[in-house]
Amino acid sequence: MIDKIRSVSRELLENGDVSYVIGYEMGTRGGTRPAIISDAQDVEKLVWNRECYANLTTFLHDYKKPSRRGEDLPRVAVMVKPCDSRTINVLLAERQIKRENVHIIGLTCGGMMAEGKLREECLRCNIRTPIVYDTLIGDPPDVDVVDDMQDVSELEAMTAEERLQFWLSELDRCIRCYACRDACPGCYCTVCEFDRDDSLWIGMQNELPEKHFFHTFRAMHLAGRCVDCNECERVCPMEIPLSLLNRKLAKEVRELYGFEGGMNTELTPFITVLADGEVSLI
Amino acid sequence: MRHISHSQLLSLLDLVAKSQTLIAPKDMGKGHLHLRPVEDSSEIVFEYTRTDLSAKEMVLPHTERIMRFENRSGEITITDLFINKDQVVFGLRPCDAHGIASLDSLFIRQDPVDRHYSKRRDSTTLVGISCPQMWDSCFCTSVGGSPTERKHLDVLLTENEDGYFVDCVTERGEMLFKNIELEEVEQTRMSNVTLNDSVPVPEDNLWPTVFDHPYWQQVGARCLSCKLCTFVCPTCRCFDLRDEPVTSNAETVVHERIRTWDACTSPNYRTIAGGHNSRPQKGQRIRNRFYCKFHYYPVDYGAEGCVGCGRCIDVCPVNIDIVEVLHNVDTLLRQPATEVKEETR
Amino acid sequence: MSNNGSNPMKPFNGRLVKIRDLATEIKLFQIELLEENGRNAFLTYQPGQFAFVSSYGGGEAPFGITSIPEQTNLLEFAVHRHPHGKTTNVLHRLSEGDPIGVRGPLGQAFPMQEIKGKDIVVLGGGIGGAPLRPVINHIIEHREDYGDLTILWGAREPSLLVFTEEYDSWRAAPRTRLHLTVDHRPPEWREGNEGLITTLLEMVSPKADNAVTITCGPPIMIHFVALTLRKLGFALDQMLVTLEGRMHCGIGKCGRCNLGDVFVCTDGPVFYHSQVAEFLESFL
Repeated sequence: MIDKIRSVSRELLENGDVSYVIGYEMGTRGGTRPAIISDAQDVEKLVWNRECYANLTTFLHDYKKPSRRGEDLPRVAVMVKPCDSRTINVLLAERQIKRENVHIIGLTCGGMMAEGKLREECLRCNIRTPIVYDTLIGDPPDVDVVDDMQDVSELEAMTAEERLQFWLSELDRCIRCYACRDACPGCYCTVCEFDRDDSLWIGMQNELPEKHFFHTFRAMHLAGRCVDCNECERVCPMEIPLSLLNRKLAKEVRELYGFEGGMNTELTPFITVLADGEVSLI
Repeated sequence: MRHISHSQLLSLLDLVAKSQTLIAPKDMGKGHLHLRPVEDSSEIVFEYTRTDLSAKEMVLPHTERIMRFENRSGEITITDLFINKDQVVFGLRPCDAHGIASLDSLFIRQDPVDRHYSKRRDSTTLVGISCPQMWDSCFCTSVGGSPTERKHLDVLLTENEDGYFVDCVTERGEMLFKNIELEEVEQTRMSNVTLNDSVPVPEDNLWPTVFDHPYWQQVGARCLSCKLCTFVCPTCRCFDLRDEPVTSNAETVVHERIRTWDACTSPNYRTIAGGHNSRPQKGQRIRNRFYCKFHYYPVDYGAEGCVGCGRCIDVCPVNIDIVEVLHNVDTLLRQPATEVKEETR
Repeated sequence: MSNNGSNPMKPFNGRLVKIRDLATEIKLFQIELLEENGRNAFLTYQPGQFAFVSSYGGGEAPFGITSIPEQTNLLEFAVHRHPHGKTTNVLHRLSEGDPIGVRGPLGQAFPMQEIKGKDIVVLGGGIGGAPLRPVINHIIEHREDYGDLTILWGAREPSLLVFTEEYDSWRAAPRTRLHLTVDHRPPEWREGNEGLITTLLEMVSPKADNAVTITCGPPIMIHFVALTLRKLGFALDQMLVTLEGRMHCGIGKCGRCNLGDVFVCTDGPVFYHSQVAEFLESFL
C-alpha cells in the first residue's frame, strides 16, 4: 500500500492537483506523526503502518481560507482511515469543507495497534473501507470486531451519585490543555465557547467545576457528530476516558434518533434539526 | 555523607505535613503522578520517573487568586491574597528545580518583584530526589543541568538500598533535618548515572539569524495550537489575568482577580482590540515558543529557558520534538543556505 | 513604577468623577485617585505612559493616559467599547461616582526632552489619538520649547474623531496646524479632507528637516504611515510610534506583549522606528 500511497501523492503534487498532501511520517521516538508536504520529493517520507493513529482531517481546518487575500482556496489531499472518512462527511454536512477542494485518499484499515494489541477504538470498529474517497488504496482485511460497549454498560449501571464521583475523580487530573479539543476535527470554532476572554460560560480557573462543565458540554456539542476516532483520548496526557463519555452520548443519539455521525452527509438531528411542531411562537 | 532510612524519612515527612503543606507525588489515577498536597507520607509515590507536571505549579499555580475586591455600596476594599502557609515540595527532580530557578530570574530578579510569586517562593522548601538514570526524552545535561544537580534545591536526596543520602544544600534544607539524628556513612561511590547523548543547543545570540527561515512554518504546520507543551514545561510562565465573581448579596459584592496559565501557542493569544493578530500562523506561534526558550530567556533574564526535562516531547500529540528542532536549528546555523526538512533521527 | 504597597499588581483606589461621550463607542473617563500613595505615584506621569484601569469585577485593561498633570489633577482615559471585550463593556456601564481602580503609570514615555527645538508632526488614527492628545497638550503648555506643530488627525468617519472639542484650542496655539481627514466624508462635513491619513500626509507633506513624527493607530496604519514618511524623506530615527501588544501585567512578567526579546510594556510602548526595524518580530 505504501508504494501506491507515495505514487498517488507524488502525482497529485506534480500535476498541481493539490498544494498539500496530508499523510503520516515516522515520529522521532517510535510511532508516526502527521506530515504535511508540498514538495513531490518529500513523498518518500510518507509511511503507512499500524501506528498511524492521527485523524488527519483535523488539518483541513487550516485550509479553509486562502493563504493570501484574493487567492483561491488551496486544494488539499488527505489520507483517511475508515473512521477518519466519517469525519469528512461531518465536515461536508456542516459546510466546513468543499468537496471539490479535497482529494480524499482512502486507506483500507484493519485497525491500529499499540503494545502488541489492537487499540480499543479499532477493536470495536466494524468498517474496513473508508465510506467516502477519491482514491482508494488497499484491500479490506478481515478483522474480528468486539463491540460489547462493556465500559458504557458499567457506566450505566452506576447510580447517579457514583457516576458523578467517577467523572469528577477522572476529571480532577485534567489540566485544561485543550489537546482533546484541538485534536478533534469536530471542534473548529474560531473562538471556543469555553475559552472566551469574557468568561461568559465558564471562568478560566483550573478547578473541578470548570473542568466538569467543559468536558460535559464539549461532549454535548459532539453528540451525533463524534465518529469515535478516539483522538481526544489518545492525545490526553492524563488518560481521561473521554471516549467513554462521547460513546455514551453517541449511543443516546442512536437510540433517540436512529442517527450515527458521519455515515452520510446529513447533519446530526441532535439540536440542529427541529421536527415539525417543535417550534412554537410565544 | 549523611543518610536517612526509609522509615526515618516517612516519619519526617509525616511530621512536616503537620506544620506545613507537604506536597509530594500523588497518584491521581492510572499512575499519573501530580505534585499535590498530601495528608501524610502514605499518599506519596516513591517510584517514578517524573511527575506529569513540573514543580512550577508550586510557585506559579495553575490558578492563583491574587487579590480580592469587596465592594460595599461603592466602597472598595482590596485584599492582597498571598500564600499563608509554608510548604515543602518533596520528590521533584533536579530539572524541576532548575526550572524554578529560571522563573526566579524573571519574577524576582527583574524589577519590579512579583510579590505573589516571591512570597510563595520564600515559603517553599525544595527537597529533590536525584535521578537514578536519564530517560529517553531527557537532555538536562545539554542545557546546564544534570540528573544529580544539587544547585537549585534546598535538599538533594539520592536513593540507595536502605534509604537516601542526604545533601542539605541550603540553610533552609538544614532546618528540615535539624531534629533528626542522621547516620554518617562512608561516602560509597554512588553509581554513575549513564548520560544520554548530548544535544546541540545553539548559542542564544545565534538564533536571530534563522528567525525568518521557512523551517518554522514547516514545524508549525502540524501544531494543534493546544496548550500542552507550555503547561507541562517547568519554565513557561505566560499568564492570563481576569476578575471572577465570588459572592454577592445586598450589601457586598466580592470578586477575585485571578491569574491562570496561558499559552503563546493559542491562536488568539496576541489578538489585540480591533482584531489584529500579529501571530496568526501556527509557525509564528511555535517559533515564538522556541525563541522564548533559547533566545529571549537567556537574553532578557540571563537564565536557561529550557531545562531538558523532556515533558513536551512526551506529551506533544503531533511529535513536535524540541530535541529534533535543536538539531535542525544547529544544522541551519552551520549551513544557512540549507533547506532543512525534518528528518527523524 | 506603579507599586501599591510594594505590590505592582495592585490597583490604586479611585472614583469615577466624570464620564462623557467622546465619539461613537468611545467615552472619556475622568478619575480621581483616593489614596495618597496613588496620587504620589501619578504626580509626574509623562505623555506616552499608560495605566491599567480596573473595573472591580470586570477586569482591568491598559489605556494610554490622555491627560497631562499640568492641566488637571484627575486622570483621564479614552475607553473604546469593544463588542467582545468584557472590561470595556463593564467600564462603559459605570456611572459617575462609581469606584474604579488605576494601576500605573507604566511604560516608557515619549522623549519630550530629547525632541525639544524640533518641528513635531503628530499622526493619530481613531482611538490612537488618545495617547497623542497629551503630547499635543504638553507641547502647547510648553510652546516655546518646540518648533512647528503639525497635527494630522483621522478616523473612519466624523463620529469617530476624538477630542473634537479641543480642536479650536489646538488651532489657536502658535505655530500649530491641524489637518483632519475621514475615510468616508458625509457631504455636510466640511472640516477636513476625505481619504486615508497617508493621503493627507502626502498632501500636507511636512518637511523632514529637524523634525520628528509621532504616530499612533492600528498596526496597519502605523505601517503605511511609516512608508509614506520614508518617501517624504524622514529617517527611521526621526519617527516615533507607540505600540500595543495585548499587555496583561504591564510589568514584564506575563510574557504576552513581546516582540522578539523586547517587551512593549517595559521597553516601550514608545519606540523609534529605527528600533522597531531591528526587532526580531514584526508588530504587523
